[in-house]
Amino acid sequence: MSRISPVTGHYVTLEVDGLEYKVFYLENGTGQPLVCQHTAGCHNHQWRGLLEDDEITADYRVIAYDLPRHGKSDPPENAEWWKDEYKLTADHYVNFIVALCDALELEDPIFMGSSFGGNVALQLALRHPDRFAGVLSVEGADYSPGFYLDWWQHPHANAAQVCASGVWDLMAPQSPEADRWKTWFYYSQGSEAFKGDLHFYSVDHDLRGRLGEIDGDRCPVVMLTGEYDYLTTPEDSARTAGEIRNGAFIAMPEIGHFPMSENHATFRRYLLQGLEALQDVKAAKSG
Amino acid sequence: MTAATRAPSAQAWADAFAEASNTDPEIQAHGKYFTCSYLLDATERRYVVEVQSGRVVNVAVDPGPLDVAYDFAIRASAETWRGFGEPVPAPMYHGIWAATFQRDMRLEGKVLVLMQNLRCITRQIELLRVVGAPV
Repeated sequence: MSRISPVTGHYVTLEVDGLEYKVFYLENGTGQPLVCQHTAGCHNHQWRGLLEDDEITADYRVIAYDLPRHGKSDPPENAEWWKDEYKLTADHYVNFIVALCDALELEDPIFMGSSFGGNVALQLALRHPDRFAGVLSVEGADYSPGFYLDWWQHPHANAAQVCASGVWDLMAPQSPEADRWKTWFYYSQGSEAFKGDLHFYSVDHDLRGRLGEIDGDRCPVVMLTGEYDYLTTPEDSARTAGEIRNGAFIAMPEIGHFPMSENHATFRRYLLQGLEALQDVKAAKSG
Repeated sequence: MTAATRAPSAQAWADAFAEASNTDPEIQAHGKYFTCSYLLDATERRYVVEVQSGRVVNVAVDPGPLDVAYDFAIRASAETWRGFGEPVPAPMYHGIWAATFQRDMRLEGKVLVLMQNLRCITRQIELLRVVGAPV
């Protein structure tokens, strides 16, 4: 009997800030688009459980893309990128996500990202509240310093292992060992992009003092954070959500910084709460 | 069962730690170049762990100030290390990065050597969940 997954992969070519990218994405499901961003230095397989979640894909078109320089999305097609140091900025990251949603002609998408994806979710809500039906900021905060480290690319150490084992402690001991090791394995593949991603995560992303500018009526924000996350703790996310109009926070016990990848079975329970919270805001608005 | 009863004395803990590391399948599979020495400073107890080619060849218990050289040190309060010795550690007691970012753990000395051996060190420290706390 065939065991072919319903998940399909596609490439779409788009232009952002003068750079041409051929972007790979996986998708499954029908309904409102749920656009999913992986964590820094990783790729879209982190969303493998969600992409095959029958209940959620019955109501949502789940789209999990690889950010350029990650997974199967190459660096820019029209630039000599190898002559520059990669340092992701909030401007380019936000422009990319909007360009991707435009290229896929998505209507009323919900954006969900984890870690540096959770942080950019806040940037999207701030800058493009009318382009998104809402955002789910997973393991996000207004500010997350401390991870823009030279160790990720130090030539005297094994960068693959430093990146993979350096993020190992971000996962909860309760998460299945096989899923934690898959996440470790993904991280052994992305060291060149990891540090540049963290330029956004720990340096360029700083919304301290600006959370009040996020219009949570036009673009509702729900934040979800695992208790084993040592970078963005539940307290950080709760504080951030508390400063956003209509901001909601869902604490996630017994899970860490890569919830969708380290333990989808646990994460999905909180995700369903988060999606329901977004739909409640929408219903209240239309009511 | 508490960590203290699982590691009744410092020497017994050192022996159990060496045994656990030297029979661990992951370290055996990936430790070919795992060679370094480090101070595990638990404030009330101190150990210098010496590893050669993936094998713990010595654990010095409470060495004198100049007795044993080491490449780097992992220092924390006894309370933090006791958290590491729980079978399922509470948040921020679950790894050296977590405890360094959020508790009182400090990574000192030749941190590059730690990074060069990070995979196997991470595994060794996780063995405390089985062996129990060093203090």
